[in-house]
Amino acid sequence: MGTESEIGRLLAACARQDRQAFQRLYELTSSQLLASLMRVLRNRAAAEDALQDVYVQVWNQAARFTSGRGSSWAWLMAIARYRAIDLRRRERHFTAGSAEGIEEIPASGEPLENLMMLGHRATTALHRCLAALQERQRDCILLAYEHGMTHAEVADRTGEPLGSVKSWIRRGLTSLRRCLES
Amino acid sequence: MNRNHPEVLDLLAGEFVLGTLAGAARRRFERRLAAEPFVARRVQAWEERLSALNFGLEPVAPSPAVWASIERRIGGSRPRTWRGLAAAAVAAAMLGLGWFLWQDTRELPPQAEALIANPAGETLWRVELAADGGRVTVSAIGAIRHPDQRSLELWALPPDAAPVSLGLLPASGRVERALDERQRAAIGLAVNVAVSDEPFGGSPTGAPTGAVLYVAAVARS
Repeated sequence: MGTESEIGRLLAACARQDRQAFQRLYELTSSQLLASLMRVLRNRAAAEDALQDVYVQVWNQAARFTSGRGSSWAWLMAIARYRAIDLRRRERHFTAGSAEGIEEIPASGEPLENLMMLGHRATTALHRCLAALQERQRDCILLAYEHGMTHAEVADRTGEPLGSVKSWIRRGLTSLRRCLES
Repeated sequence: MNRNHPEVLDLLAGEFVLGTLAGAARRRFERRLAAEPFVARRVQAWEERLSALNFGLEPVAPSPAVWASIERRIGGSRPRTWRGLAAAAVAAAMLGLGWFLWQDTRELPPQAEALIANPAGETLWRVELAADGGRVTVSAIGAIRHPDQRSLELWALPPDAAPVSLGLLPASGRVERALDERQRAAIGLAVNVAVSDEPFGGSPTGAPTGAVLYVAAVARS
């Protein structure tokens, strides 16, 4: 995993069509992005196809990053997550909206485990603020973020009413932002 | 609900980044995001707030074929600056004929093709093996009935050897995959390709586990 400034520098070089820099960027960041794609897509072949799309997009849009963006990691991660979410929604649409597949989520992604991790390494402000949320708000937000779930999928997964899930997520996000800005 | 109220806009941005903003609302928000810097700044703030959620993950190294495909895909793009153009000219001169041959290979017709059809004779997918034998392109053509929460997997059936997976079949559109050595060898020799019904995400064993739904002959040019 590369440092923030190194990745920013490599992205700037990519914007100038520097292929060596692009390869270096790929070497530094691709295994992290693949892990995050696999968590949403739950399938290595699909995640590797998505990874291709992500890096082609990074190459084509690297110039956009240099125009005063903040964190280069966040930018890369966001491209990967949006791609994964789009693909996952298409797949779900295509499989006629059955919610059964949600059970297949590997245990490593359980919110409970994340909670335990939070206890162990409340290193970042985000983890501190997540830990301060109400449990149900935090669970819903983590399920949605980590697995790219919709409100309805989170409701299915947790067995809670859809309306409650929606409002927990909204309230959770609002509290999260306030906590991070304070 | 006033979509321009700062609190509301911020929540929409948060739900967009979280992924829970879905369907038509997501598409609408994407249009605003592209057009309004004010919206883009809020989205960016959420991207940065939430990105730390990715860092607990165990990294997974992609297979070498992924980089090969990316390189090939960006190889087709034209340099955008004069300096880039000059660099490309120098590179082309250095590589000499190889460069042009490579360009030519891309234009060549596929070396093999298989049309996968249902029993009614309607083509569902076209599978093409590139002229250099290193890539397959799979295009979904017909109305494809995909089993719920299952995946359809494509196999090369080389004579007297076990089937080799060529990846999952798309429900729509077109996917292109770089092949590894084993896949190249298998499709190079295969007389047929087959489609099997597999658990969501593909065969867990590396061999077909579900029903074989379709078999199609590989036609070589």
